[in-house]
Amino acid sequence: MTDYLTRLEHESVFIIREAYKKVRNLALLWSMGKDSTVLLHLVRKAFLGHVPIPLVHIDTSYKIPEMITWRDQYVKDHGLRLIVGQNKAALADGMGPDKGRLVCCGALKTQALLDTIKENNIGGLLLGIRRDEEGSRAKERVVSPRPENGTWTYKDQVAEIWNHYNLHLPEEVHMRVHPLLSWTELDVWEYIEREKLDIMPLYFSNADGQRYRSLGCWPCTGTIDSCASTIESIVDEIRTTKTSERAGRAQDNADTYAMQKLRSQGYM
Amino acid sequence: MTQHEQRKIVIVGHVDHGKSTLLGRLLMDFGKVPQQTIEKVRKVCESRGVQLEPAFFLDAFQEEQEQGISIDTTRVNFEFDGHRFLLIDAPGHLEFLKNMTSGASGAETGILVIDGHEGIGSQTLRHLKILGILGVGKVVVVVNKMDKSGYKQARFEEVAAEIRAHVEREGQTCLAVVPISALKGENLTSACEGLSWYAGLPLLPQLVASTTAVSVDTAEAAAAEPLRMVLQDVYRFTDERFYAGRIVSGSIAPGARVFFSPSGKVSTVEALETFPPRDMPLAVKGDSVALRLKDQIFVERGEVVSLPDQTPEVNNELQAKLIWLNSEPLDWANEYLLKVGTQEVSCRLEPSNMVFQQVGNGDFVDVVIKAQKPICFDRNGFGVDKFVICTTYETVACGSIMALTTAAPQGSQKSKNIVVESGFVKREEHENRHGHKGTVLWMTGLSGAGKSTLAKALERRLFAAGFRVQVLDGDNLRSGICADLGFEPEDRAENIRRVAHLSKLLLNTGTVVISACISPYEKDRRIAKEIIGAEDFHELFIFCPIEVCQSRDPKGLYKKASGGQISDFSGLNAPYQPPANPKLRLDSSTMSIESEVDSIIAMLQAEGIKPPVSAVGARGELAWKP
Repeated sequence: MTDYLTRLEHESVFIIREAYKKVRNLALLWSMGKDSTVLLHLVRKAFLGHVPIPLVHIDTSYKIPEMITWRDQYVKDHGLRLIVGQNKAALADGMGPDKGRLVCCGALKTQALLDTIKENNIGGLLLGIRRDEEGSRAKERVVSPRPENGTWTYKDQVAEIWNHYNLHLPEEVHMRVHPLLSWTELDVWEYIEREKLDIMPLYFSNADGQRYRSLGCWPCTGTIDSCASTIESIVDEIRTTKTSERAGRAQDNADTYAMQKLRSQGYM
Repeated sequence: MTQHEQRKIVIVGHVDHGKSTLLGRLLMDFGKVPQQTIEKVRKVCESRGVQLEPAFFLDAFQEEQEQGISIDTTRVNFEFDGHRFLLIDAPGHLEFLKNMTSGASGAETGILVIDGHEGIGSQTLRHLKILGILGVGKVVVVVNKMDKSGYKQARFEEVAAEIRAHVEREGQTCLAVVPISALKGENLTSACEGLSWYAGLPLLPQLVASTTAVSVDTAEAAAAEPLRMVLQDVYRFTDERFYAGRIVSGSIAPGARVFFSPSGKVSTVEALETFPPRDMPLAVKGDSVALRLKDQIFVERGEVVSLPDQTPEVNNELQAKLIWLNSEPLDWANEYLLKVGTQEVSCRLEPSNMVFQQVGNGDFVDVVIKAQKPICFDRNGFGVDKFVICTTYETVACGSIMALTTAAPQGSQKSKNIVVESGFVKREEHENRHGHKGTVLWMTGLSGAGKSTLAKALERRLFAAGFRVQVLDGDNLRSGICADLGFEPEDRAENIRRVAHLSKLLLNTGTVVISACISPYEKDRRIAKEIIGAEDFHELFIFCPIEVCQSRDPKGLYKKASGGQISDFSGLNAPYQPPANPKLRLDSSTMSIESEVDSIIAMLQAEGIKPPVSAVGARGELAWKP
């Protein structure tokens, strides 16, 4: 009996194994959020408990402090290799959300990511993005090649038929590989529940009846009213909600096509 | 644990027949579109001065919303009446066909949307055919925009009959034809007034009734299919090897004796490894697995695992139907990458009917795929029976494998009842008598590059050294044995085929053959090589810049060709495909005839070809020294 979550899991494992076989210096972009933590678990499934690739975290320095504490403990507990990327030059020049949200995301996330890729000679990244997150992600391919400047040629993506991914890449290009593209937010939570995954406590409701549904930088990420304090109650909440997952993320709402613009320049 | 079923359905059809509108409507009514998203789309529509457009939920790109088109495919989940659907939107423009195909390749059933007012469009039928190639053999047809055609039953019946006939002709199954208005949301879940004459089910109940959910129990179905597991990788994180891959057909259990194709290795499955470790008694179609085998055998990515008595076919030639998906047309001379399962092999394509017509974006063609090494595959609509054709970075075609080709003789053999006679004097006997080996020197190059001139000088030198030698000069042959042929690609192919067979006959008499024909097509030269045999075929590229050829113009042909008196002139108005890997490349614009001949003789010496001892006198020796 193969249930729906198992089908998703096996599909993702296939993709991860393809990427590992064919992409030089593969890494996993880990934001410590629920999606990339599920992705990390799937990497372990693919490699029978091993994590043969490094994790990359782009630290804008504006992350919610608990995230960094949790990150360091998790990496220590699981013996993982972590590369932390940061755009120190921009931070030294006083970059922050007050300079404009999209400008800030561009400098502290996109540019920091591209620099980290270059510095570490990374040929490909596993990313936990999903189609149901927002419109421009819905149009992604499982494998998306990015030239040095990270741009996404969304108007002319290569054909991706059946499970044949185009993973050959020229030196100066890196691959974005999206094993969770077909998952939904609900799938992710149901999977976390089923696999009993260790997940960032910020997702759970605090004493004030507030929780994060999506994690990011503290100046641009809001909490939602919720009393869901266990994984089961989060699953129930997601099943019935009518608000969008990224409603608390300010950059999405900066203007109509904000995410398309950010992402076409290399944003995750 | 939650148990979901899911139906994967792709929505296809002609441009503007309402695919995205239908999907957007379904998403709005049954998907969980967050209130903010609806508000966002409402605002965009207001600012553009249009009604709320359901398609905008899918066509999220600015360019898509501005131009009112879908550029790329996307997919959405929604639930209806407890049934879970994955609906895949596919753009209708021919320009975006690769995106449509990318989307449709993930589906099990198709919804073919036709504008009831406009009727069947060019992309309607193309999409139907593509679904056939992709193995999506079942379609539900939707006749949309019934509001626009006044809900007329007669019009609906007309369109329905026409499309049913087309579906049948393609060998596919038409599950139902349903009239709807996607924009108004009519006849999606319940009947509407205008369509009271319609006796069938509304669209969604129809989908539930006529499509099966894949999920539920694949184990039973899988048991009936032969096992096929495509090997992705072999892991050695510890001392042990794990053979990782995906089951694409059938099932596998510990204890099974397994056969690897094409290597032919055999072992027994000890366990199906998992993380976290648990006892896994069975893996079925769709599962990603890691096998622990009894023997640590050496196999590589690309192999197909099966049971020993149900192995896939192995061949380096296969017949297939494909659809071309690139704006660059198919280049029959090009080398492509063939991907079947996890196998990747370079290959060339040849039209099944040997007519080398132009194949562009959206064209279907039957081909023979000639792979550089044997690959394994299936043909009966299961397992490893689908493939894609790629360039280095892109997928340019996809298709399904048809019947196996038998080793047919090159060229079309019209007479069937021919039994090849044997027992004649052998080539070695001829060679022993002459005291030297035979071989073929195949010159290729533009008209005026100096092939005939070089052939004459080379023939003279070899003759002086004591060899039996024969030149096959293109123009001379065309005045005799090939006098019936012109310069169309097909005629050129036939010309080369004849020259190759002549060479082969002379080779059997132990002769050194010098062929001097333009032979502009890489494919034709490859066929010549096959006829003659790779070990005797020496490709000599007589290079000369076309400007130099033009200024030489020994036969006045360039003048005529540029004056329009000759069409199909290689290098001017017909292609010349230079060889990628010639045995020798001789530049006649910089080398003297003597040094060209010397290079060829040096090559023959390196190949171990020697003149007959009897002929080595002073003149002979002189001729044989480079």
